[in-house]
Amino acid sequence: MAAPLVLRRDLFSLARILGGISQLGPRCLSACSSHRKCNQTRFQPLQTSSTFFHTATYLSSTPSSITVTDEPDTLFQKVVVLVKAHDRAVLDSYEFFATMAAKELGIAMGKVFEPPKDIERLTLLKSVHIYKKHRVQYEMRTHYRCIELLHITGSTAQVYLEYIQRNLPEGVAMEVTKTSMEKIPDHILEPMWKDLPIDDKSSK
Amino acid sequence: MAASLSFSGSARLLAALGRSSVLHSSFESRGLHVTAVCFKNRAARIRIGKGDQPLTYEQAHHPHQIAHRKGWLSQHASNLKGEGGAAERTMEDVFIRKFMFGTFHGCLADEVVIKRRGNALIVCALMLQKMPPQKFYFLIGYSESLLSHFYKCPVKLEIQTLQSKAVYKYI
Repeated sequence: MAAPLVLRRDLFSLARILGGISQLGPRCLSACSSHRKCNQTRFQPLQTSSTFFHTATYLSSTPSSITVTDEPDTLFQKVVVLVKAHDRAVLDSYEFFATMAAKELGIAMGKVFEPPKDIERLTLLKSVHIYKKHRVQYEMRTHYRCIELLHITGSTAQVYLEYIQRNLPEGVAMEVTKTSMEKIPDHILEPMWKDLPIDDKSSK
Repeated sequence: MAASLSFSGSARLLAALGRSSVLHSSFESRGLHVTAVCFKNRAARIRIGKGDQPLTYEQAHHPHQIAHRKGWLSQHASNLKGEGGAAERTMEDVFIRKFMFGTFHGCLADEVVIKRRGNALIVCALMLQKMPPQKFYFLIGYSESLLSHFYKCPVKLEIQTLQSKAVYKYI
């Protein structure tokens, strides 16, 4: 007999939570608080208590405009993205996200591998005064993940990296190494001895 | 490390005593038990009691459970290898925790979680429903604007309210 009443209360609270944060105005809140009060008189507060969630409005940045220039785009032979974090699970999910994004954009991917972790250990005295033989050890673990992108243009790399970096989780650092390809300068295309045969003969 | 030192010390002592006792004492020789002073770790641990003190999940787990059963309360990239600014982030974190504790006095249900994403500071906290929501919203806006002016970066507060503290176990 109490089960349908409990179900209705849970549904109501769920509907309120899903109803939207914007709808939480003063009149709704007073209604909720009164509902809460009568809940307390009728039922014991169970583990599914009513919760209110507040998120601040996220700052919107101006979207970057598309520019068209005549100069040729830089070509990258390899773009290596190394991500570092304290938590391996976070890196797993970020790698899944980055690889899926690259696949959707059609970017050729090289190896995606995990360099071995680094552990930095500190040994400190456990006590404030004396007791030199009793120490405490702390460690800081840094896990890595390396994603390589091959044969990518400058604009694609810029877009992809900006997308990746905007969605970087907290506590994760990224290092990007770009290997660009440049045109060979004209003065070293031809070997030097072809131009000056007379000088060689005179030196001999 | 401390345990191994004491164990080897006591083992050597017992061996020396054994050697000396065999020569002159009878076959009913008693071993001498010696233990060095072993300090138990006391950091961030609430010791077991009578069973009436409620503990949250955060308080119930000891610091060696971090990355196994616990998460991190302050998430930033300056403690990683090759990154700097750890001391400044720690000072900011200490101030933010004291500020939150003082602004929302008696309302904090659990520890404050501080995340840094790019330039933005995100402060996540669990609150108890002790004040009417209008006061909550005012305090949230006040802390956000004050902290963002103080640290010159966008500060966002993510507050979730509960009716009572989430008890994990009683100790």
